[in-house]
Amino acid sequence: MAGSALDRVETDKPYEALAVTGKAEASAGSPIIELAQLTKTFDSSGQKVVAIEGVDLAVRPGEFVTLVGPSGCGKSTLFNIVSGLLDADTGGKIHFKGEERQGKELLGTVSFMPQRDLLLPWRRVIDNAVIALEVEGMRRKEAREKAQVMFQEFGLAGFERHYPHQLSGGMRQRVALMRTFLFERDLMLLDEPFGALDALTRVMMQRWLLGIWQRHRRSILFITHDVDEAIFLGDRVVVMTARPGRIKLSREIDLPRPRDPHVTTTPEFLAIKADLMEAIEEESMKSFMSQDERG
Amino acid sequence: MARAGYLALGIFIIGCLWEAAIAIFALPPFILPPLASIGGAIWSEFPFLMRGLRATLTVAGAGYAVGAVAAILLALSMVLVPTIERVVKPVIVAINSVPVVAYAPLCLVWFGMGPASKIAMVILAAGFTVFVNALQGLQSVDAAGVNLLRSFGAGPFRIAWMLRLPAALPAIITGLRVAVVRSMIIAIVAEMLGAYEGLGRIIYESTQQIEFLTLWAAIIVASTASMIAYGILVVIDRRLVWWK
Ligand SMILES: Nc1ncnc2c1ncn2[C@@H]1O[C@H](COP(=O)(O)OP(=O)(O)OP(=O)(O)O)[C@@H](O)[C@H]1O
Ligand SMILES: [Mg+2]
Repeated sequence: MAGSALDRVETDKPYEALAVTGKAEASAGSPIIELAQLTKTFDSSGQKVVAIEGVDLAVRPGEFVTLVGPSGCGKSTLFNIVSGLLDADTGGKIHFKGEERQGKELLGTVSFMPQRDLLLPWRRVIDNAVIALEVEGMRRKEAREKAQVMFQEFGLAGFERHYPHQLSGGMRQRVALMRTFLFERDLMLLDEPFGALDALTRVMMQRWLLGIWQRHRRSILFITHDVDEAIFLGDRVVVMTARPGRIKLSREIDLPRPRDPHVTTTPEFLAIKADLMEAIEEESMKSFMSQDERG
Repeated sequence: MARAGYLALGIFIIGCLWEAAIAIFALPPFILPPLASIGGAIWSEFPFLMRGLRATLTVAGAGYAVGAVAAILLALSMVLVPTIERVVKPVIVAINSVPVVAYAPLCLVWFGMGPASKIAMVILAAGFTVFVNALQGLQSVDAAGVNLLRSFGAGPFRIAWMLRLPAALPAIITGLRVAVVRSMIIAIVAEMLGAYEGLGRIIYESTQQIEFLTLWAAIIVASTASMIAYGILVVIDRRLVWWK
C-alpha cells in the first residue's frame, strides 16, 4: 500500500499526466510487475490440470502489453493470479513495484477487468462505475462527482442515470472500463474487453482505448484473441503456448504512436502479423489436436 | 390490473358452479349453503369474525415478522461463516422434516393456550420457508462478481452488503411471499388445535356446534385476508426488484 510520493501524484491527477510519447517513456524505470516461473495446477476431483507453467513476464511502467494465446491456455488464470484471486503453485514469484507479493496480498493492488462486464443490474451506470471507490470507503456523493467528469471521455455522457440493461454491448463494456479506470492503480489487467463486440465497434473502441491510455498513463496487460488488435494496441505482443500455457515469444512492436487505424494495412504491420500468426497458429493447432484426442 | 380482473372472473365462475351444484343436486344447506346465506352470516356476525381475524393476523404477523428476520440473519451468517452452515443447517432441516403441526402439542405444553404457542409455530414454518430461499439466493451469486469485488479489496461483509443481498433479493422475496400464505395456514390450524380466540378457533367451535354458515363465513374471511396479504407482497416484489 505504501506507494511512493511520485505514484500518488500520478494517480491523483490522471488528467494532468502528459501523453506517453512512445517507447522512450515506456521503457524507462524498473518493471511495475515481474512474474518469475509462475505455475498453476488445478486439482478438481483428483484430476490435475496444469493451466500455466513457468511463466516469466515483466511489464514496464506505462507499457501496453498484449497477450494472445489459444483458448484455454491459461490467460485468465494468469490474470486471476496477478490480481490476487488465485494462489500460484509454490516456487513462482511475483514482484510488484519491486516488492515480493503473493496470493491475497495482491488483492486491491491492480485494477482488474474480467472477461464479462459484471455490471450490477440494480445499480445505475454511474453507481456501477464508482463501485471500487465505494469499496475503498469513499462517500457515494464524492465518488459520483469524481466519476461524472469521465462520462464525456468515455462516450457515456447522458447515460449516468440509466440502468445497465438499457445500454448496448459496447456501452456496457465502456462502463466496465470506466469502473476499472476509476480504481486508480498503476497496473490494469483487461481480459478480452472487446471480445464480444462487432468488428466495427471494436475498431472504434481500440482507438478510443489508446487515446485514454495515452492520457492516463497506466501500464496495461491486455488479453485478446485477435492478432490485429494485439499488434495495433501493444508496445509488445506476448504469445502463449497451448495448455500448459508458457510464454512462447515476446515481440516489441515499434510502430510509431499515435497509431492511425490505417497502420493495419502497412507492410510493416503485415510483416509483424505474419510472424506472429505463424507462432499462434502452431499453438492453436496443438490445442485443437489435444481437444480432439480427448473428445 | 389484468390479474385482478382474472381473479374476479375466477371467483365469479366458482360462485356460479357453486350455485349450480346446489340447484342440480338439490344439496342441503349443511353440505353447501347458498352464497347469499353465507354473505348474510358474514354481515350479521361481522364484529365477531373481525375479532377472530384480528387475533389470527396478530399471531400470523408476529410469527411471520420474527421468523423472516431471523431466517435472513441466519442465512447471512451462514454465508459469512461457512462453519455455521455446516453445524446449524442439518439441525434446521431435521426440525422441518416433520410437519410443523406435529409440534403443536409440545408448543401448547411449553407456551400455553395463549398466542405465544401459535406464534412459535408460525415462526418455525414461515422462518423455514424464508430461510431456504434466502440461503439459496445468497449462495447462488455469480462467483465472478464476488471475485471482482475481492479484486477491489472488498471483504466478506462488504461483498454481502453490496452484492449478495441485492442479488438474493428476488429469491428472498419469493420466500417471503410463500411464507405469507403458510403463516396464515399454520396460525389457523394451530388455533384449531387449541386457542382462546382466532379464526381457527371459530372454525373449530362452529363445526362442533354444527353452525355451518359461521364456518363458511370464517373460511371466506380467512382466505380473503390471505389473498390480500399475498397481493401486498406481489406489489412490494415489483417495487423492490425493478431490474428483473
Ligand atoms: N477453477 C478452476 N478449476 C479447474 N480448472 C480450471 C479452473 N479455472 C480454469 N481451469 C482450467 O485451466 C485452463 C485455463 O483456463 P483459462 O480460463 O485461464 O483459459 P483462457 O486462456 O483464459 O481461455 P479463454 O481464451 O477461452 O478465455 C482451462 O483448461 C480450464 O479448464
Ligand atoms: Mg479467459
